Formats: sequence, C-alpha cells, structure tokens
Amino acid sequence: MGRYILRRLISAIPVLLGITVIVFLIMAMIPGDPATAILGSYATPENVARINHDLGLDHPLVQRYFIWLFNMLHGDFGRSYSLNRPVIDEVLDRFSATLILAGVSFVACSILGILAGVVSAARQYGAADKAITFVVLIGISIPSFFLGMMMILLFAVRLSWLPVSGMYEIYGGGGPIDLLRHLTMPAVALSVVATGVIARLTRGAMLEVLRQDFIRTARAKGVHERRVIWGHALRAAMVSVIPVLGLQAGYVLSGAVYIETVFQWPGIGRMLVDAILKRDILLVQGGVVFVAACYVLFNILVDVAQSLLDPRIKT
Amino acid sequence: MNLFAALLFRNRLAAAGAVVLSIIGILALLTPVLPLQDPYTTHMGSRYLLPLSPGHFLGTDGLGRDLLSRLMWGTRLSLAVGVVAAVGAGTIGSAVGIVAGYFGGRTDNIIMRFVDMLMGFPYILLALAIVAVLGPGLMNALIAVAAVNVPFFARNIRGITVGLAHREFVDAARLSGKGHLKILVTELLPNALPVIVIAMSTTIGWMILETAGLSFLGLGSQPPQADLGSMLGEARSAMITSPHTSMVPGAMIFLIVMSINLLGDGIRDALDPRLRSGALARPMAATLVRRKTVPGPTGEGLLRLDDLSAQFHVGKRVYRAVSEVSLALAPGECVGLIGESGSGKSVTALSVMGLVASPPGVITGGAARLEGEDLIGAPYERLRSLRGSRVAYIFQDPLATLHPLYKIGDQLAEAIRCHHPISRSEARKRALKLLADVHMPNAAARLDVFPHELSGGMRQRVGIAMALANEPDVIIADEPTTALDVTVQAQILALLDELRRARGLAILFITHDFGVVGQLCDRVAVMYAGRIVEEGPTAEVLAAPAHPYTARLIACVPELGAGRRRLPAIPGLPPAVDRLPEGCAFAPRCEKATEACTKGEIVLSGAQRRWRCIHPEPVA
Amino acid sequence: MSATSFTRRQFGLISGALLTTTALASMPALGATPPGVLVVGQIAEPKSLDPAADTAANDFRILVNLYDGLLRYKHGTLEVEPALAESWDISADGKEYTFHLRKGVKFHDGTDFDAAAVKFNFDRMLDDKSPYHDTGPFPLSFFFSSIVKTEAPDAHTVKFTLKEPYAPFMSNLASPTGMIVSPTAIKKYKKDIGRNPVGTGAYKFKEWKSNERVTVEAFDGYWDGKPGLKAVLFRPITDANTRVAEMLSGGIDIMVEVPPNSLSQFKPPKFNIVEASGPHLWFLILNCKDGPFKDKRVRQAANYAINKEAICKDVLEGTAVVAAGPTPPAFNWAYNHDLKPYPYDPEKAKALLKEAGAEGAELTFYVTQGGSGMLDPVPMGTAIQADLEAVGLKVKIETFEWNTFLGKVNPGLDNKGTHVDMAEMAWMTNDPDTLPFLALRTGAWPDKGGFNSGYYSNPEVDKLLAEARTSTDQAKRAELYKKMQVIVHDDAPWVFVANWKQNAVADDLVHNFSLEPSFLLELQKVTKT
Repeated sequence: MGRYILRRLISAIPVLLGITVIVFLIMAMIPGDPATAILGSYATPENVARINHDLGLDHPLVQRYFIWLFNMLHGDFGRSYSLNRPVIDEVLDRFSATLILAGVSFVACSILGILAGVVSAARQYGAADKAITFVVLIGISIPSFFLGMMMILLFAVRLSWLPVSGMYEIYGGGGPIDLLRHLTMPAVALSVVATGVIARLTRGAMLEVLRQDFIRTARAKGVHERRVIWGHALRAAMVSVIPVLGLQAGYVLSGAVYIETVFQWPGIGRMLVDAILKRDILLVQGGVVFVAACYVLFNILVDVAQSLLDPRIKT
Repeated sequence: MNLFAALLFRNRLAAAGAVVLSIIGILALLTPVLPLQDPYTTHMGSRYLLPLSPGHFLGTDGLGRDLLSRLMWGTRLSLAVGVVAAVGAGTIGSAVGIVAGYFGGRTDNIIMRFVDMLMGFPYILLALAIVAVLGPGLMNALIAVAAVNVPFFARNIRGITVGLAHREFVDAARLSGKGHLKILVTELLPNALPVIVIAMSTTIGWMILETAGLSFLGLGSQPPQADLGSMLGEARSAMITSPHTSMVPGAMIFLIVMSINLLGDGIRDALDPRLRSGALARPMAATLVRRKTVPGPTGEGLLRLDDLSAQFHVGKRVYRAVSEVSLALAPGECVGLIGESGSGKSVTALSVMGLVASPPGVITGGAARLEGEDLIGAPYERLRSLRGSRVAYIFQDPLATLHPLYKIGDQLAEAIRCHHPISRSEARKRALKLLADVHMPNAAARLDVFPHELSGGMRQRVGIAMALANEPDVIIADEPTTALDVTVQAQILALLDELRRARGLAILFITHDFGVVGQLCDRVAVMYAGRIVEEGPTAEVLAAPAHPYTARLIACVPELGAGRRRLPAIPGLPPAVDRLPEGCAFAPRCEKATEACTKGEIVLSGAQRRWRCIHPEPVA
Repeated sequence: MSATSFTRRQFGLISGALLTTTALASMPALGATPPGVLVVGQIAEPKSLDPAADTAANDFRILVNLYDGLLRYKHGTLEVEPALAESWDISADGKEYTFHLRKGVKFHDGTDFDAAAVKFNFDRMLDDKSPYHDTGPFPLSFFFSSIVKTEAPDAHTVKFTLKEPYAPFMSNLASPTGMIVSPTAIKKYKKDIGRNPVGTGAYKFKEWKSNERVTVEAFDGYWDGKPGLKAVLFRPITDANTRVAEMLSGGIDIMVEVPPNSLSQFKPPKFNIVEASGPHLWFLILNCKDGPFKDKRVRQAANYAINKEAICKDVLEGTAVVAAGPTPPAFNWAYNHDLKPYPYDPEKAKALLKEAGAEGAELTFYVTQGGSGMLDPVPMGTAIQADLEAVGLKVKIETFEWNTFLGKVNPGLDNKGTHVDMAEMAWMTNDPDTLPFLALRTGAWPDKGGFNSGYYSNPEVDKLLAEARTSTDQAKRAELYKKMQVIVHDDAPWVFVANWKQNAVADDLVHNFSLEPSFLLELQKVTKT
C-alpha cells in the first residue's frame, strides 16, 4: 500500500507541473494586465511600463515562468500586488475558510446523499423513494446561487433566523456556535446539488447491487434485511460511489465560487475570481496550483480508499 | 421504437418531463412568429411592473421591457446554447476518449494525464479564464462551458472504449486489415454512440445551469439580447425589491432543467436493456405472496410443497413460472428436481424461503411446509430466522454468490452469528471447522482471503460450508455443480453425498443433468414449463421414463465409454411461460403428440411413480 | 419489518435537523454591536492601506480615517483647508510652495510628525534613489510628478519646488495620495506597510482579517479633537444584494454605494439616506476620428437622441443628475451654470442624422460590466442602445469586464485595426483640470500617453486648458474652464450623460453622518448610540 501511494504521488508530479504551465499560459493570454488594473483610468503607457517593471513583468515569458516555478519550489509564491501581501499567506487564510465550508458541505452531501440513495433504493417505488427522487431532482435543477439568494431573503432578511453573510460575527464573534450559525445556509446551498448527484448515483448503484446473487446469498443465510441493505449492498455499491465522491469534491469546490460570493464567505474560490478580474497573476497562479494540488491529493486519497474497500483492485 | 416510447411513457414523470420540454421547445421555436412584444423596446415609465399587469402578462423588467417576450427569446437562446454546448463537448470529448481508449498505452497515458490536469482545475475558474481570454459573449461562454466539460466526456467514453477495444469484433476488424481510422469510425463509434447520445442529452440541463452561472458572474450574452442566465444576472440587483424579475427566468431555468432531467432519466431507463426486460426493480427482502386460498397438506414430509404456484408479473404480461407443484422431502432424503432452463425448477426451489426476486416474482398459490409450518406468507422475521438455520441454500455460481468484498471467514462467521449470538472469535473457530469439514485445503489460511482469490471448486466448498453453518435440516442445492469442470463436479457431489449420509440432511437437488441425479438422488421429479411432468424413484425413472420428455432428457446424457455418439438434442424450444398452450406443454415438441394432447387439463397420475401424459412410454 | 425502522430514523433525522435549526435561530445574535462601534459595509476588500499605493475610492474611505495630509477638503466642498499644514506660501511664479506644519502632532506609533516625515513620504514616492522607493508601486505618484525637490529647512517647514506652475497641486495634496505615513513604520514594515498602516488620523489601525474586516480604533491623541466612535469595522461585501440584505437585517450600520434598485427598501425612521454630489462625470466617448461620429452633427444627434433624464431618474433611481458638459457641477467655482444639457429630442436627432446622411448607420458600442464610478453600466448601455435604435441607428453592444474594457478603450477607439464608435466611461477627479487635461486635449491622444480615446481635437480647447493649468489665480482659471465647457458642449466629442450623487444608507443609531463631495468617508465626528 505504501508503495502504491508513493507511486500515485510520483505520478501526480507531471500533472501538477502541467497545471502550472496551463495556468501560467492562461494568465499570460488574458488581455489587460496588472498595471491597467492598478492604475484604472490612469493607465498611461508610461505608468503601465513603470509598474510592469516594478512587478517584474518586463521579462520574457519563458524566463518569467521559470523564475516563478523556481521560487515556488523554494516555498516563495510571490507577492500579491492587489492585496499587498505574500500570496501564500493569503492563500492559506482563504483556503482554510473554504476548507471549512467545502469540507462540511462535502461531508454533509456525502452522508445525506448516500443515506437518501440507499433509502430510496431500498424502498424503490415506495413513497419515500418517490419523495426523495423528486426532492433530489429539484435540488439538481436549481442554480445554487439562486437558491442561496432565496435563502438569504427568507431566513436572514424576512425571518432573521440566521445571519446574512460572513463567517463570524463581525464584532465579538468567534467560537464554534457562531461559526455554525454562519455556516448553515452556505453549506446547505452548496451541498444541495452534490447531494442530489450522490443520491442518484447511490440509488442506481444500490439497485444494481441489490439484484446481484450475493445479496440473495446473504438473505438465504438469514442475514437481517437491515444488514443486507446497509452492510452487504451498501458496501458493494460504495465501489461505484467513491470515485464519484472524488469528482464531487471538484464540483463542491467550484460551487464554492458562487456560494462564497453570495454569502461573502472569505474563501479561496471568490479570491481566485477576484484575482482573475484584477489580473493578480501571482495570486491566481499560486491559488490555482495550491487548489489543484489539494484536488489531486484528494483524488489520490479517494483511490487509496477505493483500493482499501475493494480487494480486487490491484495496488 | 414503439416499445421505447411505450416504456418511456410508462414512467409518468418522464412523460411529464417530455411534455413540458416539448411545450417549451415548440414555444421557443415559434417565438419569432408569436404575437409577442419587442423584447428590446424599453419603456422607462413602466418599469418593474408586476406579473398580470395589463399588457404585460409576466410584468416588465428594470428597463420596462416585456418579461414574457424576453423570457421566450431567452429560453430560445438558452436551449440553443445548452444543446450546442452539449453536442460540442460531447463530440470533442468522445473523440478524445475513443482515441485514448482505442490506442491505449502511451497515447492513452498522455491524453489522460492532460485530462487529469484540466480536471484538477476547479472547472468554474477554467471557464472564467477562458472567457477572460476570449472576451465575453454568449458564444465564448458557450465555448468555455463546452471546453470545461470535454474532460468529463473524454473520461467516460474512454472507459467504454477500453471495454470495447478488446472485444472480438475489434480484433477481427484489425486482422482483416482495416486501418485505425476505419475501425474507430465503423466499429467503435457505432457501439459507443448510444452512450454518447444519452450522456449528451442528459448534460444539456447541466450546460444551461453552467451558462447561467457564468452569466451570474457577469459573462454571457451581450445586451440587449439575453439568455435566461443573463436575465437572471440583470434581475439580480432588484432581487429584494422586485423579486419577480429574477423569479421568472429562475423558474424557467428550473423547469427546463427539471424536465430535461426527468426525461433523461426516463430515456436512460428505457434504453437500458436490463431495465427494459422488466428487471428494473430491486428484489425485496421476501417474495410477494398473493394467494387466494391455502391448500391443506397433501401428505407427509419434512419439507413439502403443496400446489405451489409462482408467477412473474412484468408490465401487463404474466409469466407462469411454476404451476401447482407438489413435492415432498423426507428427512435424510435427496430429491432431484430436473428440467431445462426456464422450466421453473429454480423458481420452485427459491419460492420455499421467499427468495424469488420480487418484483417481478409473486407466489400466487399453494404452500411450502416445513414440518407442517407454512413458510409461504410467514412473517419476514420468522422467515429470516429459518433461512440458513433450518433450510439452507447452495447456489450455482459461487463467484457471483459470495460477497466479493468480504473475507471468506467473515462470510462464514456471519452465517453463524445471524442465528447464534456467539463471539467473533468463537464464530471464527466454527468457520474454520466448517472449512475443514468441506475438505478445504489449508483451511486456516483461507479464512482471510477474498472469494476472487480462490478457485471455482474451493469457492463452491465455501458455499457448501456456509450452507452447513447452522446444521440445517434441509439443503436446497440450486445447480451447485453447473459452473464447475467435471473433476471438481465429481468431488463436490461426493462431498454432498458424504455430508448427507453423515448428518442426515435432506437435500433438494436442482439440476438439468440426469447424470448428476443418478449419482446422488433417491427420487427425481422432472419439470417442464412450470409443472412436474414425471416423478419417481431415480433408478426406476432412469430405467424406464414414462413421459416422452423425460425419455428425451435421459437420452441427452452421454454414457461413459459409449464413445463419441451424437447426443440427440430435443427439437424445438420450451414454450414461453406467458403463453402456455392448452393441454400438454410439451405436445408441440413431442413425436407422439395427438390431438387429445392439446386439449383440456392433463393430470399427474400414479402413486409411487407419477406422470402427466396420455401417451406414456411403456413402463417396465 | 425493517421498513418501519427506516422511517423512524428518517423522522429522527428530520426532526433533529429542525431542532438544530431552531436552536441556531433562537440563539441571541452574538454580534449586536455596542454603542460607539460602527460597522461600515464596503464594496470590496481594500487593496492596501498605504495611501501612496491606493487608487480606489473604496480604499480611500478607510485611509481618510487613518491618515491626514498636509491639506484636506473643507467639509462639504472641494476647496482645500489646512490639515497637517497650518499655513502656506506660494511664490509669485507658482513654482515654490512652502508649508508651515502643525506642531505637537504624533503618529499612532508615538513618533513625531515633522518636516522630515513629509520629505520622507514624498521622496519615497518620487525619488527612485530613496532607499524605500521599492516599497511601492506608487500608481498615482504622477499627481506630484511636477515636484523637482522636497526640502525640510527646519522641523516644521517643508518646501516643494515645481518644474512649472501646476494649478491642481494644492488639490492633489489634499487627495489621499498626499497623505503622510509614519516613516518609522515604513522603515519597520517596508512592503508590508499597506497591511500595517500608521498615520496621524482620528482612528488607528487595529487588525485586518482577510476578506472579513478591517478594524480601526479611536486615537485619543488626535490633534483635531477626540473621535466620536470607539471603533470602526470596515466590512467588504462584494455582492450588492448581500450588502443590501446585511443592511436590512442590521448586520451593518452604514452602507455605501447603495444599488439604485434597492433605495426604496430604506425608509426613515429606521434608515436615513445621505447623498452628496461629487466631481463625477459619466459619459460616452465618441470616435471623432473615423466613422459616423466624425461628423459633429451625428455627435450632437446622439446627445439629443439619448433620454438622459430617464436614465438618471429610472435606471439610476435618481442617484444621478443629467450632466450638461465636461465639468461636473461639484466644481462649483469652475462650473458654467449657464450651460444646459442637450434636451431629449429624438425628432431633432433624426433631422440631424438625415442632414448628415447618417441614417441607419451601424455603430459598435463598448460597454463595461462594472468598474469604478461606472454606476450601472450594462442597463445604462442597454437603455442608450434602445434610444439610439429608436432614431434609426443600429448599435451593437460588446460588453467587457472592467480591466479588459480599460485595456481596449484606453489605447484608443481605433486601435490595431478594430474600429469602435462609442464607449462608456466615467471619471472621478479632484480638480477641474484633471479630466479635460487627460482626456480632451489633442496632446492627450492615446498614442501620446493620454486618455483622449475618441481623438477629439480642438486647438482652442488645448489653449484654454494649458493656460488654466499654469495659472494660480482661481478666478482666472474659472473663466477659462467655463469657456472650455461651452466649446466642448457644442463640439460634443462625448455624450454627457450623468453626474453621480454618491449615496449611503445609515441606520437610526448613527448620528452626524454625511458624505463629502470628495467621495471620502469622514467618520471623525460620527457617533453611534
């Protein structure tokens, strides 16, 4: 297993290098530059040249790429011009906020999605199945940002149950309960779609598995139906659910961009969007590489979990 | 196609989706000729009118433009974008996936690494960056949305292609000298096409949502033209004051995506060959029972079946798999139940403990009594407590019937612990003993292996050990040797025989092979088209079969030492059990059939030996 | 059967979720801010809190409370008054400015404010030999590029020597770019000064939590009286809807840049809306070099065809007034009050178009999706497009996100083979010289480093502007600017659309709150109960 993980880690290196190249090229291709973004209406060619020089953007492209890569390998992600602080500080600050939001949503949508899928499959065509299927369909048909805005209108503005936005109370906030109050709406809005996707998939996988002969064997042994469903069948169904959980993590992270905007969550998704709009090249590059690395790592974890679950997979 | 439509519309939700979507689609197509107001004319005096205002059915937006008209034009645009993006992403992604899957090796590796890279980006950022590079505009948003979805198609289609690329027809095409391109286009593409088309149609909704998302972030169609997403984006600033301006496009997006999803699910269900066969459903914990009367016991026996009938209900069709089967099993006795596939022998066996997959299976009549207690219709908990402890099953294909993800030892221990509350370690000891009992070589080491790590014979020994776990009175063995090669088959039969004699087990042995019956069974019952057509002591039936069908079956058994002789197959096919003919079901295939054979009910007659035939073979 | 147990569990799950929600909802709001602590809803995270590095009005709103400059704008006007400098002398040739500094002023870090500190600040920005010049970049340093040298003859006197007379100099000194930072802090934090600001202002910096808040606290040693608040929290809320929702639900006390659509939500007595007209102009740049707008009659037709009244009153819900010419009325002394906006007259527009033979001309129109001072650019652009269509012009809109938009418009409307006829633009300036100097002169054509993207050229305007810029007599300058406005109004190189009335909402706990024409958010006298 150790060797397998190591092998996977090594094979992730070219992927990450590729990502650095892609993000670098994209940022180089985007029209508009940091100087224009800094200077706004005052971007005379002379001012632009002065700022490009200050930011080291007057070197040739290839050289800039290698300077960036070299610095990054030494732990220096550079300095965000739009925030006047080291990229890595900002990325870590913001990523931890996203991690809380996306992590909670991801756990919630995995658990709820799997629960809903299993119940729905176990009671196929029953009232519970129909209700779940319908709710799930509604969930995956609503744009998450729309849902988020509606929730703010209802729960925060009209009913004043939950705070509108932010991560903690602005004054004297802090602590897990405060966090929970602020987390509830964005986490729900963010997990709705993924919950639906996971529930549908789990339902399908369960239906597939429940038709298998080994389920009949379990029943013939006298295994209790509850254990047949939640043990035998779910375990086998997880083989096809887990890889999708890995994909969903990506969706949750992307969805966080919208949700962080609507709920003013100080996360990395919104930071990256702002950074792209402000042409904060180093911040975009550093942020994307960091996020991509986490995503790749997470997928390795998923694969490892998969191979632990399914002994038939060669490691 | 009719079948497809019928299946699709049987699913009411899918039908509703199809109807809603077609209405929206037709309206979108007709938009240019509908008597709508100009979607671009602004009227500053009538801004944010509420729905149902005179002249503006859905009200007006922030520039006083008619919302209904804008909604229809926007829908038209959004649908077009969704379709084009889905087709674009699907085409490119599939092409990449097919190439990667077909060539494999280095090509595959490089392509898939690249796909991984793209998937490593949060897709919305990639889309955002693409739009930033290309500039805003609906076309560019479309390109971005399509581009970020290419990797997903590539991944899925590659998976399918890898499966196809190693199939015989591809090898054959390669050997016949076809070029790569030709194989890709003429062999692989047609096979992958249904999946591609389904994937595309189900992603349209997703594409519409994503385009709306980009519009939400301010990148999308160019004003004054608006797709649904940018309508939502424009209305967002008035979200609190005039919520209807965002509700209108929001609801339309929801309707479209919802109906696409409903329809997509329906299409997928209708096209899936397994779902189509009616095996759409998962089996419940116990077979459904719908019987009007319970017949009284017709005789003695440890386990006896009295007039047991079971059917499969698929749509409007009824397959009468088992019709009024009566059979008795005395303690220590081994009874063979023999017949061709589809004769109903397995269904008979599974009915006993309510293990017939249901839906579609239904037990429609009769009883199965274990020491006089009727199991048909017994409460689930009672049935469960008897399963495995009093009546145990051995199934045909041990690779499929053992749970692939549990260790052998755990599966055995579980069988015990279901009925006996003993500790894990105790259960493990008993499991080890069971494996030893079935002569599993190196039993101790086998406890911790998974089924796929064992050979077929060893797996079947595990199956037998599991059946023995709670020292049942009856074992129902459903073709336990069919999947095994001849030497292993002999070993397993010997083992069963040994166990039966040592433990006084009653065995109901289901098979299609008279050779096997001859080795093991005391008595034999022959089934055809869901009915018992002959029954009697094995030796007598073998020596002098009364029913022509039995005679034919026996003739199929190769005799050892008889050299290569042609086995006379039975001409024709068994009847479909949803259209059983009147009279003898075998009559259409029987050489001796007369007119009388196709009329009325032919009864099972006789005492020690019984048969259901009016022209029996001479019985010695 | 197990069926019932599932259902029971589901019920458990649902009721559990409901309980949690109710529990969360019923908890007392933790953050009800106490009296004296003000929460301001900002439109974005500040870029930096270093006045030399900032360009955005959003950042200036914080800066003005942390720092002082030598001069400041008199309350409610754009005229300068003493701040850190108590008085000043200007040499007769307009090239030497001597400032006498206030005594006893201290920075928040306890160090003294003196002439050396002033010199240090200007050298840092302007002198690339200064050891702290690399703590930039300093995008607006050209405000002071006419300074040849800065001297500190004694601890309380500073002397600037200019290359040439430069009328907007005083006004620029009052702008945030001229604010004074503690030299000790710059030496200590270097590039990170923007995150650790130290000034002489009414409030001192406490903390900055990324994308959550910037907190400042009262500076008791403030030279101009004790601040009215204990603390101010600046909260960035990028999404306008969320900002409105926070304001409605009491999460913030003051909200700036209220989206016009939601103004109707805020009604007294719970909420008070404050407004101030600022030196802002929203206009359309017309391509005077090529295409239909080369003809003055077509440009005037565009001015007649667009219903500016409707845009200001309806699209912008009265948050702007119709602009008459290139100079905003907020520059009261330089504004030509006789100038009247082009009336909305589509018939006249059609007639002019017919006369010029430009009926049915096809036009490309660049619209931005947002941006500093751009108000509601997409609906405004859409309304303009509809008005122009109504007089028979075929207008194709292309929208761009702000930075891309600037990248396309600033190099000129005829650039690299692309021809654009019109583009949206808006400026907020602190001196009547700035906008025309940068965007109307022949010498400000894009290829000469200016922002005259529509290639307007009128030698008379050039002459008037050059004269006004070097004159230190305000009355004379005013006269020159007024003449310029009449000419430009008639030439119509732009469509003059709107002058923004900056607005803000405050809840009923906030007192003494008003907005300044300078777009700065002065909170020194504000109190909260």
